[in-house]
Amino acid sequence: MAGIRCVDITKRFGGFLALERVALAVDDREFVVLLGPSGCGKTTLLRIIAGLERQDAGEVWIGERRVDGLAPRARGIAMVFQNYAVFPHMTVFENIAFGLRMRRVPEEEVRRTVAWAAELLHIESQLDKYTGQLSGGQRQRVAVARALAVRPEVLLMDEPLSNLDALLRLEMRAELKRILAESRTTTLYVTHDQVEAMSLADRIAVMEQGRIVQYDTPLEIYRNPATVFVGSFIGSPPMNFLEAVREAPGRYRVDRLVLAGPAEAPARLLCGIRPEDLAPTEATAALVGRVVVVEPLGSHQLVSVEGEGFRLRAALASDRPIRPGETLRLAPRHDRVRWFDPESGQRLTP
Amino acid sequence: MRGSRWPWYLLALVAAVWVLLPIYLLAINAVGGVDTINAWPKSLLPTETSLETLAFFFSVRGVWKAVANSVLVAALTMVLAIAIGAPAGYALARFAFPGKDAFRLVILLTRAFPMVVLALPLTVRFIQLGIYDTPLAVALVHTALALPFAVLVSASLFMGIPRELEEAAWTLGCTRFQAFRKVTWPLARPGIAATMIFAFVVSWNEVFAASILTLRERTLTAFLLTSLNESPLHFRFAGGLFLVVPALVFIFAVRRHLFAMWGIASR
Repeated sequence: MAGIRCVDITKRFGGFLALERVALAVDDREFVVLLGPSGCGKTTLLRIIAGLERQDAGEVWIGERRVDGLAPRARGIAMVFQNYAVFPHMTVFENIAFGLRMRRVPEEEVRRTVAWAAELLHIESQLDKYTGQLSGGQRQRVAVARALAVRPEVLLMDEPLSNLDALLRLEMRAELKRILAESRTTTLYVTHDQVEAMSLADRIAVMEQGRIVQYDTPLEIYRNPATVFVGSFIGSPPMNFLEAVREAPGRYRVDRLVLAGPAEAPARLLCGIRPEDLAPTEATAALVGRVVVVEPLGSHQLVSVEGEGFRLRAALASDRPIRPGETLRLAPRHDRVRWFDPESGQRLTP
Repeated sequence: MRGSRWPWYLLALVAAVWVLLPIYLLAINAVGGVDTINAWPKSLLPTETSLETLAFFFSVRGVWKAVANSVLVAALTMVLAIAIGAPAGYALARFAFPGKDAFRLVILLTRAFPMVVLALPLTVRFIQLGIYDTPLAVALVHTALALPFAVLVSASLFMGIPRELEEAAWTLGCTRFQAFRKVTWPLARPGIAATMIFAFVVSWNEVFAASILTLRERTLTAFLLTSLNESPLHFRFAGGLFLVVPALVFIFAVRRHLFAMWGIASR
């Protein structure tokens, strides 16, 4: 077991800067998710750590070893690919045993380890089948079993659930969490699905255009996004951003509401409020707007509101029916309001 | 739906008759005995069967040697074409390198050179090298003819095998070569075999280069071509049939792979 440390990794593809001085440290036995939109460089970073891609500058450390000059087979890693990459000309058993046999593990131990991995993934009954006979979900299990069987120091996963259908994805997500908790393997997991990231990760590294913009626990990233991008990328629906104008030092007006903001900040700010932190109010000091769309979701209802110069979405309790066209007065939980610089997008601390 | 399909069936029928009729006539004349060949009017049905013609064909001096030469040349071509073509195809499929698209095009351009233009320089060069009138010389030229096909087909073959399979093998402890041998090669093998057989057939059927580059070490095609004028009719029919049948059988055996390689949906 070991941690991962990336130091100032830079990678260019032609003129495109894919990664710009990326630094990332994953602790031993930690589950870290690299999260970002497509093209942000997350898969490139993973492939550089695996040794499938070569960085232009920077270092990769796994445990106490610097590995960036080593071939993939010498790095102590195992990888699960987006399209599973199970070998179609081998049985499930041979797939899982492949890495062990390459390491010349005695056949008796191979059999024991394959049995262990197959049991962990619940595929004991499939061992004699060829992988072409398996469903997508089962292939995914074979790929994970094959990776875990070599007892890697570090497990790298590249969007492993994105090829599964929605129901199977939910099931496998919970399964993965159990399996990786049981195997206690340091894991770096790439995804563009923020729900997946939130539900799996010990820590999330959010990436945007080749840089890591925030690296923290899921809850911290959700509550205190470092930038407007993070706030709008994480959470469904995303955080609302409303324009705020300074009234007095430390006091900002948003629509008909005056809120306590950062003391030293520009005259115009963006005020970030999560949809579920809004509630109907009777007070005159409120965000006032007309209901445009109501989406009842059972547990709550999503209400889109258009006010003077702003649009927002609120997740409201579903006990009171709300109709399109009616006027709604909303107030935020004051302790959950966050402030952002409209120029840089950075969050400002009060 | 049904009404709109019959023109296609008709077209297919015409194409099939176009190809099969000459082969059929060749066959009935080759196995029909000398009388059939000389009979007039011609019958479209085999009137008699006899192995007399074929027996005569194989009894002619030089035929067996020409057959052996043809097999040797075709086998050499097959091995050389795949030994050079498959690695080139692998490189095209897996690596990005400057001039890749140009390379792809240049490969095809080798087929644009008429053999007639190349014949004299090749003959001179082969005499200088001391390999004129050997199966090796013919095989080298045939390799050049089969190579574009071997390269491009094996490239598309390797492209059809996901790169991630090899990458997964690397992460599981393989060197590049081991990954190729244990993962890519077994998956590519049927297609490679088909490509080899195709190269064999290209060589088996080639006549021009074989005629120019040999005097005594004739391949079957060259032997038949040079003896056409002085040989009786039934000899030509028998020789023709013997040339066509192996090629047909081979192509038929690997047709599925050829279709798959050319991207035509086949069942």
